[in-house]
Amino acid sequence: MMSRLERQTVQSKRFSTLLIATLAVGASLLAGCSGDSSTEASELTIYSGRSETFIAPFLAEFEAESGIKLNVRYGDSAELAAQILEEGENSPADLFLSQDAGALGAVAEAGLLLDLPQSIMASVPARFTSADSKWVGITGRARVFAYSPDRVSQLPTSYLDMSDPIYKGRFGIAPTNSSFQAFVTALRLAEGESATETWLRSIIANQPKYYEKNSMIVEAIENGEIDLGLVNHYYIFEVAKALGREISVKDGFFADGDLGNMINVSGAAILASSKRGDAATRLIEYLLRTSTQERFVAETKEYSLLEGIAAPTGLPALSEIAAPSVDLNALRDLKATQELLIKVGLL
Amino acid sequence: MERPNPTEQKRTRAHLGGFTLTALLLALASIPSLYLILRVRSISSDELVAILARPKTVEIILNTFTLAIVVATLSVVIGTLFASLIFSSNFRSRGILLALSALPLAIPSYVFTYCWIAIWPSFRGFWAAALVLTFSTMPYILLAAFAALRRIDKVQVDVARSLGCNRFQVFTRVILPQIRNSIAASTLLVILYVFSDFGAVSLLGVDTFTRAIQNLYRASFDRQSAALLGLILVLFAAILIFAEERMQRRTINARSTARIKEEIALITKKAPKALAFAAIIAYSLLALAVPAYVLITRMAGNFQGIDLASLATATFNTVLVATLGATIAILFALPLAWTIISTRSRFALATEKVVLITHALPGVVLGLSLVAFSSRIPWLYQSIALLAFAYALLFLAKGVGATRTSIERVPHGLKEVATTLGVSPLETMRRVTIPLAAPGIGVGFLLILLTAMKELPATLMLRPTGFDTLAIEIWSAASINRFNEAAPYALLLILIAAIPTFILSRPDRQFQDEGGRQL
Repeated sequence: MMSRLERQTVQSKRFSTLLIATLAVGASLLAGCSGDSSTEASELTIYSGRSETFIAPFLAEFEAESGIKLNVRYGDSAELAAQILEEGENSPADLFLSQDAGALGAVAEAGLLLDLPQSIMASVPARFTSADSKWVGITGRARVFAYSPDRVSQLPTSYLDMSDPIYKGRFGIAPTNSSFQAFVTALRLAEGESATETWLRSIIANQPKYYEKNSMIVEAIENGEIDLGLVNHYYIFEVAKALGREISVKDGFFADGDLGNMINVSGAAILASSKRGDAATRLIEYLLRTSTQERFVAETKEYSLLEGIAAPTGLPALSEIAAPSVDLNALRDLKATQELLIKVGLL
Repeated sequence: MERPNPTEQKRTRAHLGGFTLTALLLALASIPSLYLILRVRSISSDELVAILARPKTVEIILNTFTLAIVVATLSVVIGTLFASLIFSSNFRSRGILLALSALPLAIPSYVFTYCWIAIWPSFRGFWAAALVLTFSTMPYILLAAFAALRRIDKVQVDVARSLGCNRFQVFTRVILPQIRNSIAASTLLVILYVFSDFGAVSLLGVDTFTRAIQNLYRASFDRQSAALLGLILVLFAAILIFAEERMQRRTINARSTARIKEEIALITKKAPKALAFAAIIAYSLLALAVPAYVLITRMAGNFQGIDLASLATATFNTVLVATLGATIAILFALPLAWTIISTRSRFALATEKVVLITHALPGVVLGLSLVAFSSRIPWLYQSIALLAFAYALLFLAKGVGATRTSIERVPHGLKEVATTLGVSPLETMRRVTIPLAAPGIGVGFLLILLTAMKELPATLMLRPTGFDTLAIEIWSAASINRFNEAAPYALLLILIAAIPTFILSRPDRQFQDEGGRQL
């Protein structure tokens, strides 16, 4: 049995498909039948905040399988979001692949995204998708502390421990990086402004070293410049791959339920201005297919958000991390976070 | 009634043509500033005051200015010193020394920074940024000073010497006043460049306007505050540009046919000569050998992984779009320079200033403003033409000075002769002025070409989807820490950019001689 909501969605989807088809036929008649009039698009334009090295093999497989040609524009997730906001209705993009939920949320808030089909929304646990069906999480990325097992004997059990004097001057953070800011946003929403400000001031007093990127923190730990740092879980693999050797840096998780273990996602959304919604939907379906997800885990060391797919080797399962529930939709609310970071002097 | 004579009519028509093109340029060059104003208008006045009163805003302003002043001072001191040393000592290897000191121009600031961090992981902060930016801007001053030195009349030096001036006095009283304006004009470009640089300051963690603007876009999609900072930057750039204009003093331009060459050798003794030589070599080693060493070892670490096809495509694309950009820029620079010279109209002079202001803008601001402007024009949006046009707007400032000065130097008599022989103004332009001014216009073209090849932020936004340049490939690999994969692209970019740099640095070419005043 379909729920009323689902039926409505399907109906409205059918209606919009019909509308798009009518408009397409009408437009091609007006244009003297210059374009191809098939209902299934033969090309898709993707704005990808995900790096070419990691995502291109997947996209190539989809191209071969579907016969749909993909034009991919690579860039920084947030800059691409700013570009889409600037383009508005005129965006040539059909699909937006983002490194984090915040950028997707910002585009959704501007009303530039299409509702995704219920079949897609239902395949991913609700906590990793947008509540109003505007975007869907594709892979998971856990917030962790990276550390040197040789030099750190007492591991932190909470993000609050970063103000412990035993770590004074020994840890790194990347305050301009969107992953750090997403974490601070989550903190603000969960604990409130003043608790977050207190925490930020307490870690600043503990003299962290500041870096531009997560990978730089991992490298600095490997070099012995610092002993631990707040990063996303997959950077130890990325840095090892980049250096072409094993590294001694390990990922550590805080205690169960600690906000420090927040899970953010990379995700996908379809632009409302796209006339190729069906083909874009097929690509999202491909990205969420079990075999594709298993490849993500093996190759990019990210977590699959789907039930029953193993975690990357050497890492606890997503369900075991006991991450706190964070409303990923709210991560777009970065303005207040930035104000706070500016106020305490981190930006 | 008197009938207007045909030559007069043609001249008026030519003026009108130049005027129209200048007006078009003014409209196009104002796009970024207009965009910023439109964005800022949606900020409430309370918010406006809050942003302006933030301690961070004050810090950004101070940082930006201190960095610009430190870099400009270091560049001017080192650049003028090196130019004078190379010029006035009888080094046999003059050409090589000049080329070595100019070559760092070919290295993008972000590549510089990555390389320094690679050999020295704790390389960070204000002085690190000042060092990198001095390396990458000093050659502008060096080349401008050298070109100006070559234009000084030898007779004046002889007269000064015969009147009892010592070498130092010759330098301060005869030489310096004549190269001062060239250096001032180049210093302005250096400062505007420091305003707009993103690569070095972001990697080294120095909060300047450009980094703050980029961070605001990056993290909060906050286009209003970013635009406000952008507008403040425009304001400061405008103040500087007017200040520089006031500072320009009249120089003695009379000259006989002879020129100073090796004759005013300031240093002839062995020991100081060796010292000067050592200083130049040390600078070149730091500026060139460090990046070369890092990039070559990185590339060797991943030799099998080099993708020749993508290297070739990226190189072709880089050269193609940078050449187009430089060509468009010169096509705008010519009518602008011509209108300024022939009419001295305020309107044309204002256009030149707007062009200079655009040079101070971060690539991301120019990029977004062109996205806002052109995304509703599907055939133009994300086309090669748009990207080339963006380069032209960003870097026109580097070509306008050289073009204007070289046209100004075409003897007026020649133009009058052409006119009395019944040649139309446009024909005179084509057959007399442009050929004579060509070397200077060439200098402008090469400078724009060179800079456009290295551009990244605007390229990311405006390139056609799937169109990869060398800078894009470097970014793509470096953003996920694959420096080994980035190295071949970086090396190739430096090698290609070294070609125009090398041509610019050849001292005994007329090329330099005539055009280099406002490098």
